[in-house]
Amino acid sequence: MTFNFKKMALGAALGAALLGSAVAISNAQDAKHTIVTVVKLSGIAWFNRMEEGVKQYAADTGQNASQVGPASADAALQVQMIEDLIAKKVDAITVVPNSPEALEPVLAKALGQGIKVVGHEASSLKNVTYDVEAFDNAAYGEHLMEALAKAMGGEGEYAVFVGNLSAKTHNEWVDAAIAYQKAKYPKMKLVADKIESTEQQQVAYQKTKELLRTYPNLKGIQGSAGEDVVGAALAVEEAGLTGKVSIVGTSLVSVSGPYLESGEINMISFWDPAKAGIAMNKVAAMAIEGKEITDGMDLGVEGYNKVRLNGKVIYGQAWVDVTKDNMGEYKF
Amino acid sequence: MSKPLSRVLATPQGVVLITVLVFALVLSIINPAFFSVATLIDLLRNSLVTGIFALGVMMVLASGGIDVSCTAIGAFAMYATMKIVLGVDIDLPIFAFFALSALIGAMLGLFNGLLIGILGLPTLIVTLGTLSLYRGVLLTFLGTTYITAVPREIIAFSRKVLVRMENAAGQMVSLPYSFLVLVGVAAVVAILINFTLFGRKIYAIGGSEEAAERIGIRIKRVKVMIYVLAGAIAGLAGMTHVTLSRMANPFDLVGMELNVIAAVVLGGARITGGYGTVTGTLLGVFVITMINTTLLMAGVPSYWQKVVIGGLIIVGTGLPIVIERLSRHRERISRSLSA
Repeated sequence: MTFNFKKMALGAALGAALLGSAVAISNAQDAKHTIVTVVKLSGIAWFNRMEEGVKQYAADTGQNASQVGPASADAALQVQMIEDLIAKKVDAITVVPNSPEALEPVLAKALGQGIKVVGHEASSLKNVTYDVEAFDNAAYGEHLMEALAKAMGGEGEYAVFVGNLSAKTHNEWVDAAIAYQKAKYPKMKLVADKIESTEQQQVAYQKTKELLRTYPNLKGIQGSAGEDVVGAALAVEEAGLTGKVSIVGTSLVSVSGPYLESGEINMISFWDPAKAGIAMNKVAAMAIEGKEITDGMDLGVEGYNKVRLNGKVIYGQAWVDVTKDNMGEYKF
Repeated sequence: MSKPLSRVLATPQGVVLITVLVFALVLSIINPAFFSVATLIDLLRNSLVTGIFALGVMMVLASGGIDVSCTAIGAFAMYATMKIVLGVDIDLPIFAFFALSALIGAMLGLFNGLLIGILGLPTLIVTLGTLSLYRGVLLTFLGTTYITAVPREIIAFSRKVLVRMENAAGQMVSLPYSFLVLVGVAAVVAILINFTLFGRKIYAIGGSEEAAERIGIRIKRVKVMIYVLAGAIAGLAGMTHVTLSRMANPFDLVGMELNVIAAVVLGGARITGGYGTVTGTLLGVFVITMINTTLLMAGVPSYWQKVVIGGLIIVGTGLPIVIERLSRHRERISRSLSA
């Protein structure tokens, strides 16, 4: 599973734009900003969760913040929505784009009309005021490896999965993880090259079985796509190795819940779209009010307490770790 | 080249069989753990879904057509079945799950069949279209969420095993009940194509449609039947996939179709029609599964699996043709000499 940074960024940008226009009408400090978040696709669990964040932000701050999204993950529909928002003269637009390239012209237009634009999952966007990313990919990869190393007791053989060998994000996670292991846990050993699951649970399952047979001493598996850990967990369960092989990786509770509960999966990580929604809106509001984001700043949102600024891109450390104990809190 | 060897290499099955043996030999030298009953059981389990799909596709190929939509039918059928079952919320025996999935698959196959048989449209175009169509309808109207809370009948079924044993490393290896689905489908297809008039009609149409029509075969009707059957089989494959993975993911299966077709072709069926056997197909599936899953064991990087499969398809289907041509050429030369 690949989470889409882009869609979130669009939403953030819309929100920012809404904020911007409110300023123009009245005093910047006590004015209500209109911030609209445009997501990739409405109605799916991920963006429903983001909407909760946007609503919470509106309730907490009194800002006029809302979320919209097309019925299908279509860049053209997002362009239309943003055109509408520009016509309505919102203050800021926060956006999670389906395709950053496709949105550049319309976002440039928004910026040209004084609307602030904040992106999410779209660090490549050029026409934005800011872009908010939940985390830096390398740091996230190291975080996962730290968790795997803890579970394995810092030694033993492990293997890593990527959804596709060509998936940029997955490779960044895994490469950073392997480098981190080599530097910090020399007693751990990577047994095979990166293994490709093609984001399918059954492929991850079959390859895990192969791994277990080839490397009977295998003690750990790190997954990248949401299905990786689930397939690996099924293979471990069937092989009767529950508890002997540790599994950590990126996934969602709705996908890997049963195996977190039965103990094959030690920990899954993801980022909370609700928190990302709040962070985008906050950044948008600050942009409207003319405040600058600085390196090391605290956005006042969990996971975004000490952000790293790289150009226009704001990185948090907003990964969420879920184990058997706290899986009930996340219903997506 | 000695006579028996060239005879073996003259059929795709022969090439495949030799590849299997060489492959197994090399793997067991690299990793002695490979050569065991446990490995065999794992391979059988891993070839289940591809195998069931392949049997349906083999019939289509034998009739001179091609079906790339089978995986989309399987995904649609299994996900729709899960939605329906979870929607009505009554306890159904596992048999009903399979029956419902096969029924939905048959209906989608019927649509293929009508376009191909009645309207006479090209099979590749139609099934390419429906591959995308069925998948699109599935994701748009039925949903994009994973169903992880599958009914307990499915969990119970997937935990039932025919054989369970420990491998050399002390890990449990098992062959699930779903294996019987493959056995059942293989038996039905084998009887159908070998011992019924319908089966002979399939080969007749695949051999020459015009000739088949002249001897009084109602081509349209047979073609519709073939796609309905292939659809039903795809539905069974989809449900088998659910019982193996214990979840229903609407994004699964689609993407496998080229592997399925490669397996069928390696098994001796010809794209041009008229050829195809159940044993050959199962052998082809076994090889494809073996390459896809065991190269890892030999320490070969993932990309190489694609290279090996591609090479095998070209050699496996090309070598028999070259050998046949050479022998014909030799025959011609000897004939002209004796004349």
